[in-house]
Amino acid sequence: MSRNLKIILATLGVLVVIGLISVGGLWRRVQHLEETPKTDEEARQEVLTPPISTASDVNTNAKIFWASGPDSVAPVNVSIPLSADPVERSKQLIQELIEKPPAPGQRTLPADAVLTDFYVLPGGTAVADFSDALSAELPSGILSESMAVNSIVDTIASNVTGLQRLKILIHGQEVDTLAGHVDLTGFFDLIAPGTTAPSPTETAPAQGGAKVPPAGAR
Amino acid sequence: MPSPVLKALVRARDPRPDSDILLFVRNFLAVFALVAGVFFSSPGLRPQGPAPAQQAASQNQAPPTQTAPAQPPAQSPTAPTQVPPPQAKAPQATNPQIVPAPPPQPAGPVIVLDPAHGGTDPGARGANGILEKDIVLRIARVVRVELARQGYRVVMTRDGDSNPSYDARAAQVNTYHDAIFISLHVSSTGRVGTARAYYYQFPNPIAGDGESASGRPGTGPGGLLVWEEAQRSYAPVSHRLADLIQGELAQGFVNSPVSSTGVPVRELRSVAAPAVAIEISSVAVSNPNTLVDSAGPISNAVLQALVAFRTVNQSGTK
Repeated sequence: MSRNLKIILATLGVLVVIGLISVGGLWRRVQHLEETPKTDEEARQEVLTPPISTASDVNTNAKIFWASGPDSVAPVNVSIPLSADPVERSKQLIQELIEKPPAPGQRTLPADAVLTDFYVLPGGTAVADFSDALSAELPSGILSESMAVNSIVDTIASNVTGLQRLKILIHGQEVDTLAGHVDLTGFFDLIAPGTTAPSPTETAPAQGGAKVPPAGAR
Repeated sequence: MPSPVLKALVRARDPRPDSDILLFVRNFLAVFALVAGVFFSSPGLRPQGPAPAQQAASQNQAPPTQTAPAQPPAQSPTAPTQVPPPQAKAPQATNPQIVPAPPPQPAGPVIVLDPAHGGTDPGARGANGILEKDIVLRIARVVRVELARQGYRVVMTRDGDSNPSYDARAAQVNTYHDAIFISLHVSSTGRVGTARAYYYQFPNPIAGDGESASGRPGTGPGGLLVWEEAQRSYAPVSHRLADLIQGELAQGFVNSPVSSTGVPVRELRSVAAPAVAIEISSVAVSNPNTLVDSAGPISNAVLQALVAFRTVNQSGTK
């Protein structure tokens, strides 16, 4: 065997070994992609909603309201780092609510939904601004829409203090309904489940001086 | 000394006819009553009793003025609907022994059935191609017939594949001064075979956000009604009606809740009348007729609840 032939064979052998290693790695990556397919919205969500962490984060036992059956939501206790700032804290809670339901059947908000902004107005009115996916991908119906709203409202009300009511926007704008049924032109009272609150319809006339929230806000 | 006519009248009340004079007087009174009945039964005095099923069905698109002349003066939206006793609207102008008795059931509230969605808005969609807008229309047509059969005047916000706006639907109700609004829905989710009744749940008023002259929620400057919240004044009676309907639904739909739920359903917000939304679950069924078959239990629940609702209102316990 000539020297040149040996060199060629050795080179080919090295190339084959490198090729096998590369193919193995490539195969593993393909397998991984098949197992965890990502929609465009999810990929965008990874960029838009990176984990929120602040200097005041403390591991807290939070109550996150996911679906507890086909027609109700119930709290699930989870330990997550939460900020002391009500705005950041609310963002962290809603992000947890969207991204980490304990089981697929417990999801109340579309996986593609993104909380694009959250801020608080004077007087304790919180404004949560969601991407179009919240309304576009939520199953239409009074039941499903009310469960979605209740999961947001109850989660914030149970874990954030100092907020009175919540306004939900879609893509920065007020919309008539969430997905055809639940009215989003008004506000939602942030009253933690289990606490007593005056009935707006029964007791309001006696209070006096109160003005209609939606009309006054628009 | 009593006159002969008076004596004849007194004797006419005697259940034992014993003379030709009595027969003559009775026949005379009968003829007189017949003539009087024909004379007074002009359109303006005709009782406002409910039409038979077919007639009521044809009133779907009846002009609002159809019932206006017989209605009481416009109620203040702050005063929930009073259902007057039927006798107040149905003067008896004919002798029941001579003229055939009118259909039973007195005039009551106009029932406005609202098949939700329609047109380009299909509502909930099932995997098998079931569309909420089609199902609720078929259900509404059955409920309409059943309610009309019991003597109720029924109006539908749509009877085809159209999609009136929320305000247009509310306007159809608000035209009447004594109406009840029932919106029909089919959900995307929920346990199949269950049904729920909803009333509009308003948020608490924002304290200090301006003052209205009346100091009442739902009113703006000068005490004028904020029309976008016309339902606010009716929320308590709507809640009561929804509870009654839900109680009946729970008997016809197993595993349904026993009390109604407060949810801000957009279609109810501008309705100046007792208003309830009924939603059955769900479009996930494979056969659409399964959902349409629920029209019977829904009709029964609504009918039973209406009877109880009117009884409660008339007894003044509202």
